[in-house]
Amino acid sequence: MSEPIRIENLTKNFKGLRAVDNLNLLVKKKSFMGFLGPNGAGKTTTIKILTNLLTPSDGAAYLNGIDVTKDPKAALTNVGTVVETPEFYPYLTPNETLAYMGELHGMNHGDIIQRTREVLETVKMTEWADKRIGNFSKGMKQRIAIAQAILHEPSVVILDEPTSGLDPRGMVEVREILEDLKNEDYTVLMSSHLLAEVQQVCTDVTLINRGQLLRSGPVNELTTSTNLRRLEIRTIQETTGILLAKISQLGGVSGLEPLGPRDFGLSLTGGDEAQADLLTELQNLGLKVVSFKESGVALENLYMSLIKETR
Amino acid sequence: MIEITETVARSSKKTVAVAPSDVAQIGIVAKYDVLKYLRSRRLLGMVAIVVLVILLITALPPLLDESYPDGADAFMNMYAGYVAILVIVGATLFAGDAIVSEFQNRTGYLLFPKPVKRWVLLAGKFLASMAAMFLVLLVYYAIVLALGLVITGGFSVLGVESLLLAMMYSVAALSVGYLISSIMSGTTGAQVLTFAMFLFIFTMVVRLLTVGDVKPWFILTFAGDVIGYITQEPYPVEVTPTGEGPIAVSSFVPDVGVSMAVMVVYVLASLALTYFFFKRREMSA
Repeated sequence: MSEPIRIENLTKNFKGLRAVDNLNLLVKKKSFMGFLGPNGAGKTTTIKILTNLLTPSDGAAYLNGIDVTKDPKAALTNVGTVVETPEFYPYLTPNETLAYMGELHGMNHGDIIQRTREVLETVKMTEWADKRIGNFSKGMKQRIAIAQAILHEPSVVILDEPTSGLDPRGMVEVREILEDLKNEDYTVLMSSHLLAEVQQVCTDVTLINRGQLLRSGPVNELTTSTNLRRLEIRTIQETTGILLAKISQLGGVSGLEPLGPRDFGLSLTGGDEAQADLLTELQNLGLKVVSFKESGVALENLYMSLIKETR
Repeated sequence: MIEITETVARSSKKTVAVAPSDVAQIGIVAKYDVLKYLRSRRLLGMVAIVVLVILLITALPPLLDESYPDGADAFMNMYAGYVAILVIVGATLFAGDAIVSEFQNRTGYLLFPKPVKRWVLLAGKFLASMAAMFLVLLVYYAIVLALGLVITGGFSVLGVESLLLAMMYSVAALSVGYLISSIMSGTTGAQVLTFAMFLFIFTMVVRLLTVGDVKPWFILTFAGDVIGYITQEPYPVEVTPTGEGPIAVSSFVPDVGVSMAVMVVYVLASLALTYFFFKRREMSA
């Protein structure tokens, strides 16, 4: 059986700018794939091609084995999407909007009523079911967007930065909804630039930059395979320029930056052994180390190292 | 065509994952677009304009101490000349932003990733626009025919013919509005251009051609003049300058058959171009 999402040699040019460059990607069934990259990396363009909002310049994108460009209706039938915080018809209510979307997907009246109740409950919008969407906040619209994406219980859900633009509380609530999705039978592709979010929610991750694939695989494998960790160190004495220069010469150290008079951060290549050795070497330099800790998430370290490599 | 028959066995309440036929989807899109017209009060606003126009025209003769025309057709002719203006306002409201709003208002992000073809969306929206426009025209003609029956005691058969021509003209006007909507980048600009196209641009072209002694039979607004002329008995004839006498410029009158053909051509050409532009248009911003 074909993969739920398959992208082959996908390229998209915008007036001389190559937004997606010969990209290949596979999303396995029932996986929750995080789609990571800096701004302008080509994430949204790729998702727009997958959802028939853009036409590729070259290559192909398949949903459940069907080419989106050649037969979008068949390809998108079993797919739910949230792209770029969609706007809704302001004069319709969530109930009416979901009925409209459900009918386009071929749901019958009874299923629409039942599923509308369920998904509005999932996104905590039940009490707003009969209010016109025109007055809703961005966070409320985002929840309705997620509701319509899962209304017809698709096998594939594609989300483009679903927590973008939300306040911290809204982000937590949407993340809880995403966690719920992970526990169900969906195959999810979610673009994001929030690394902690991806590490928390996703089972797999794909990193792209400048439209090209950098790395793809299970989150656990990628984070353990990365040999780079970010450390933050605080010392008793002030770290002068001379001291910092000496530290930067130590083995495996890169990306050294002062964070305060007695604080600095660095990237270290190597595992636990290298980290222990570094502490010893810092002490040999005469530094009295107050704290010596890893900062950020493992995925962030991998992300930063890969992005730096492609600059 | 490939049909997806796979269903997700999540729970006992799994919904069907097969999209309806294109024809069924046209009906769905049309239904919700009509609902949008109703909720946005555009339709209600148009009906209010219709009632206001009828009130003004009906009130004018008594206010000027004049009597109403004797025959039902002559009475209808008093109103038929204003139908073209109603059609222009209707085309602006129901067609001017129909396509472009999906892009500018970002509702396309919701609608376009659904399993529905672009031509189906276009057909559904156009049907909704037609339904709204026809409703407005039917209300107008129904009130005027009823008034004619009460005031003159007769029923205007030519009024019914005028209604049919008005419906044809309105479809052509909507088609041009859709074409403008498919190529413009903003809703306001599209609506202003639709309005200006009929009220000023077409009218100016007709005037210029007439001055140049060229019959503007191929201009939509000229063809639309048949809506009023058809209620005149006998149908008016063209006057051309002979070189003698006071007539310096020809007075062209549209031929009914030719005008109907022109309207059909406008509908087909405009909708074909609309589909071409709509299908190619991307949600890139």
